Amino acid sequence: MGEVKKVRTVCRSCHGGCGVIAHVKDGKVIKVEGDPDSPISYGTLCSKGLAVTQLAYHPDRILHPMKKVEGTWERITWDEALDTIAGKFKKVINEYGPEYIVVGQGTGRDYESHLYRFANLLGTPNVLTAGHMCYVSRVASTLITCGNLPICDYRGNPKCIIMWGCNPQWSNPDEYKGVDFWKAYKKGARLICVDPREGFVAKKADLWLQLRPGTDAALAMGFHHVIIEEELYDKEFVDNYVHGWDAFKERVEEYPPERVEEITWVDRELIRKAARMYATTKPACIHWGVPTEQTINCADCTRIMTGLMAATGNLDAPGGNVLYVNPPTRTVAEFARHRDLSPQQRAKRLGGDQFKLGARVALINPKKAWDSILTGEPYRLKAGILCGTNPVITRANAREAYEALKRLEFLVVIDFFLTPTAELADIFLPAGTWLEQNHVADNWKRHGFVLARQKCVEVGEAWQDHKIFLELGKRMGQEWWDTVEDALDYLLEPTGLTWEEFKEKGYLRGEMVYRKYRERGFSTPTGKVELYSTVLEKWGYDPLPKYREIPESPVSRPDLAEKYPYILNAGLRTPTFFHSANRMIPWLREIRPDPIVEIHPDTAKKHGIREGDWVYIESPRGRIKERAKLNDGIDPRVVVAEHGWWYPEDKDPQHGWDVSNINILTDNAYETLDPAIGSTNLRVCLCTIYPCNEAS
Amino acid sequence: MGEISLMFFRKDCMGCHACEVACKQEHGLGVGPRLVRVIERAPVFTPIYCHHCAGAPCKEACPVEAIFRNGKGIVWIDPEVCIGCKACMEACPFGAMQFDDETETAVKCDLCQDRLEKNLGPACASVCPTGCIVWGDSKTLSEEAVARAMAL
Repeated sequence: MGEVKKVRTVCRSCHGGCGVIAHVKDGKVIKVEGDPDSPISYGTLCSKGLAVTQLAYHPDRILHPMKKVEGTWERITWDEALDTIAGKFKKVINEYGPEYIVVGQGTGRDYESHLYRFANLLGTPNVLTAGHMCYVSRVASTLITCGNLPICDYRGNPKCIIMWGCNPQWSNPDEYKGVDFWKAYKKGARLICVDPREGFVAKKADLWLQLRPGTDAALAMGFHHVIIEEELYDKEFVDNYVHGWDAFKERVEEYPPERVEEITWVDRELIRKAARMYATTKPACIHWGVPTEQTINCADCTRIMTGLMAATGNLDAPGGNVLYVNPPTRTVAEFARHRDLSPQQRAKRLGGDQFKLGARVALINPKKAWDSILTGEPYRLKAGILCGTNPVITRANAREAYEALKRLEFLVVIDFFLTPTAELADIFLPAGTWLEQNHVADNWKRHGFVLARQKCVEVGEAWQDHKIFLELGKRMGQEWWDTVEDALDYLLEPTGLTWEEFKEKGYLRGEMVYRKYRERGFSTPTGKVELYSTVLEKWGYDPLPKYREIPESPVSRPDLAEKYPYILNAGLRTPTFFHSANRMIPWLREIRPDPIVEIHPDTAKKHGIREGDWVYIESPRGRIKERAKLNDGIDPRVVVAEHGWWYPEDKDPQHGWDVSNINILTDNAYETLDPAIGSTNLRVCLCTIYPCNEAS
Repeated sequence: MGEISLMFFRKDCMGCHACEVACKQEHGLGVGPRLVRVIERAPVFTPIYCHHCAGAPCKEACPVEAIFRNGKGIVWIDPEVCIGCKACMEACPFGAMQFDDETETAVKCDLCQDRLEKNLGPACASVCPTGCIVWGDSKTLSEEAVARAMAL
């Protein structure tokens, strides 16, 4: 028996960043612990990260490449797999063009730089990511508004925090994990919670604004109205650093608290109180999450919130929302060689003309991909490679996603398990978990850190995703490096460190400078915070942000609401799962064995539903079942349901993908998408509920 | 240090279940026994855990004296002696006694004795993101409990 070796690395069971010490014995990770020296997590760790050994050594994990022969999976070598894929891709490129290949990822395992490099050097503009409705949408909207993503500066001691549609302690936040928020709160910061559901943050908050799901943009405009009316804004900042303040003010006049109360269900006095608290307690920051992005109001809601930071002088101020300075590694954009994609190829991006903000950040909307495959308009995608993504579970209107992927001529999936999406593939490539990865972690983030994720073990024949793109890219004749580590040396070069040296250091932090705008303005066309966006104006969109009613709500569709009287608030996060992942992990599934839909006790009573009953949730697009949990912390007109469910224990190749999958119910019709970035509405639609035993 | 105890400050428990998985990993437990468990009734979360009671009912109920208390106040169970009668599970007022179907014996929190020897503290406390799990001298903990109850 060998010695236990302790390896310092970085978790990636969600968006990563938390420090881990892995105990390795005889070539196997036997235990993981939190790293007390981590600048992100300070020794804490969540259930997902702690369960990584049950992921890495899961009996169902696929540890070698496979191909499908007449409907059955057969083991093949890496050479055969990569040669087959390269051969097929070359054929598609020669016969049709590189844009006929779609490259896709989910929330990613820190490989976006490599995936994009592969796509750009391939010459395809069709990269399908979660970014159209998660994080990148936030980055894109703030890039055009103030030049970068403004992030809560918890270390700068905020005195007031608005937690807006976000639960960083439970979910998978992109920048800081929940620990820094908690520290700031414990230091005595005032807390305002905006959430349709009473969670832990709402319980702790000074003010809880229980809004109608999807109306965040209207509420944020209501805040502006109060701040302007009561002259609580920072006149010096607004006069010198905001473009279009007067025009914006005029738009805000359309949102008096009385009207905002009607739209959002939040009491007008509470709106006034919250706006005053935020505007007058300095410094103050806003931490917002995906619920505000996964609706038709995606880009505008982010722009309105950025406006709140600007109007109150909290932008790039200590303890406010700041534009962090990252360590000087090569950026994802540079590594990925976005500039190498020719204008001719860019012009062929599916939906590029329609969703110009999405095109600006190099992604496409999934509906565009499905339509291309199913209708052949404007051309029919021929092949695809999907990495760490399970779109038949996680994308809106899941039946359409399933049908499209089934029909795609040639599909490659890179993953750990045969997910319902992977089962539709022709070639399966086994990915390495974060225990099997060497990478400069968090290089894509904007929180000022990069961290050394170092390989602890190798498991079977699995490769880290980066190596897969590198080896496949080389077979396509692309310019890559000999090894993953050589590529990391290139990524780190501007820092003056090699991968080996960086690994020893553990992490790098950028040197923070506050209020950079005083020296160099904001990185926008006017050099100011563009509440009136010259970029959106140039593209033909409304340059001023506004609230659009959710296309399928009791307000917009009273006709539908007769049959579907409840607002479905989809996508409730659970601390044990990351989107569609982890349902096969014994320790985690034990904690949460079933998908949960939360129903107000009055609503449940009306339908004869008791706690623990299986209930059908039905929308105009179909029905699924989840288990009822009664919760009086939600509005009786709303039901709140978990997302991401499939049943890995069901050995049929469909793995129960459509039994409890909330996205069977959500819609992806074009009129429901954000017009600028193409964000899908994964959050809000109409539904009805009834006990399963009542159904035929 | 006198007798050692473990305490969860319920009002700061946000129901993340990290303690549960850390405990399973530390004790090599599979599905079934949950030496610490958080019951969710959002927004309230209730941790169920062993209080290492002064007059431990589990110990009193055990017909074969498999449960004992060591010099540090930690209530232990000896799996070699346990006959799997579950009397201790009946007796525990907190629902903290668990049963392992694999070994057919009762199992319980041992405050991570291996870690305590290295002055590391129990695994559950080491990972808790809100710091709601504390361990240490029983008397000091009681005083801290009062102070924290009055604070934020």
